[in-house]
Amino acid sequence: MQHCDPDELALAALGEQPPPECAAHLDDCAECEREVASLRRSVDVLAVPALATPRQAVAPPPQVWAAIAAATGVAVSPRPAEIEAGLSRGIPMPRPAQAETATAETVDPEPAGSTVLPFRSRSARGPAARWLPLAAAVLVGGLIGAGAVAATQDGAGGAVVAQAGLDPLPEQIASGTAEVRERSGVRELQVDLDVPALDGAYYEVWLLQADAQRMVPVGIVQQGATVLRLPDGIDLSAYPLVDVSVEPLDGDPTHSGVSVVRGALST
Amino acid sequence: MSLLAVRRPPLGTVADVPTTQGSVHQGAEPDDIEVARRFVDGDEQALAWAYERWAAQVHGMAVRAFGPGPDAEDVTQQTFISAWTGRSRYRPDQGALPAWLVGVCRHKIADTWAKRERQRRSTEAATSEARSAPTAGPGSELAAEVADRVLLLGELNRIGQPQRSIIELAFFEDLTHAQIAARTGIPLGTVKSHIRRTLERLRDRLEVDGAALRS
Ligand SMILES: [Zn+2]
Repeated sequence: MQHCDPDELALAALGEQPPPECAAHLDDCAECEREVASLRRSVDVLAVPALATPRQAVAPPPQVWAAIAAATGVAVSPRPAEIEAGLSRGIPMPRPAQAETATAETVDPEPAGSTVLPFRSRSARGPAARWLPLAAAVLVGGLIGAGAVAATQDGAGGAVVAQAGLDPLPEQIASGTAEVRERSGVRELQVDLDVPALDGAYYEVWLLQADAQRMVPVGIVQQGATVLRLPDGIDLSAYPLVDVSVEPLDGDPTHSGVSVVRGALST
Repeated sequence: MSLLAVRRPPLGTVADVPTTQGSVHQGAEPDDIEVARRFVDGDEQALAWAYERWAAQVHGMAVRAFGPGPDAEDVTQQTFISAWTGRSRYRPDQGALPAWLVGVCRHKIADTWAKRERQRRSTEAATSEARSAPTAGPGSELAAEVADRVLLLGELNRIGQPQRSIIELAFFEDLTHAQIAARTGIPLGTVKSHIRRTLERLRDRLEVDGAALRS
């Protein structure tokens, strides 16, 4: 009997409707049903209306600030008119790395009163194309450095199907490695990075075509190891370059044009 | 890297800004990022700005949980006091300051529930002692849930990004995984596997330290 994909069971625990095959399977499989029930307990505990993001603002009475000032000893005071103005302000949605993206507006309108940040023009962060000519040079370096890698079986993470050494781009102090592993048809990219800490920005990993004209975002990566699932069906021979960029927290989902390391996957 | 040199313009400017005691307003209001930066630096004016901008939202949340009155007011003031004294724990790269304040407020709400529950039980214990009735009444399930909520909110704080924001969008914004992927630009499969791993992590935490199973 083919059990449900564990990811689907987790979504079912959150109350999402599983795909038909999994839904049918769940009706008969006590094991999968137990898994959903055990994952649902934290949902029941935390996903309650009282803890949801606030929708209705209420101006606190003056004694609240008086107590805060007394406890903290601060000498300044908020302006009452501005607290009233705060009634129409929103709490920004939590977003991974504050990715206030275009989709926030186009996919699902913000609830009334929420803050939607204005877009910053792309030119603010410099010419996006300036890293493109570097791709060819890195491709050569990556291929030389990587050598032939035999697929090795790794019990925990699946078979290694491709690897890349990640080399710093000019003027960057960073390094890393990337590995693609496959297990039962699912491929994951593990990126191991040694990179400087960022303030107001984050790292993102991409798969680029050899000419660096097209690219697929894979996800956000951090110092150390990060494992990300690759999009199903992506042809790694068409997207052979692993690229890690610095993305400012500006909500622009496209590549910033600033890369720290890059390398070619060798299979 | 000079990325921070590029800042988005302030959302709005106030033409006539009355000066506040102990502060220097320079005609334009600082943007939220600047307020957050000064808040972390311990600039007292930033606490007042944060209060002006977000106290009504925080208080709205407290009022929703407890109704208007002393409990809600206590939650709001505790949220700002804790945020100020614990400002070194705020990490700008992990999210915006108002979202962090809302997270602090969640803890204060959960703490207040737990405090009320302890009071209720001590009253009940005193009563049941007099009647020599068993203490594990219908309230013990509620007590366990209240304790688990405090436990899991603490565990959420230890989860790194983007996993934490993903699960918060699912829990507190009631978004589906597809909506989360669309909103964040994170691939669908990545969102799914992050959700699964986070739910597994929270389950593990409950199994090791949760009150519901032990009671
Ligand atoms: Zn099953």
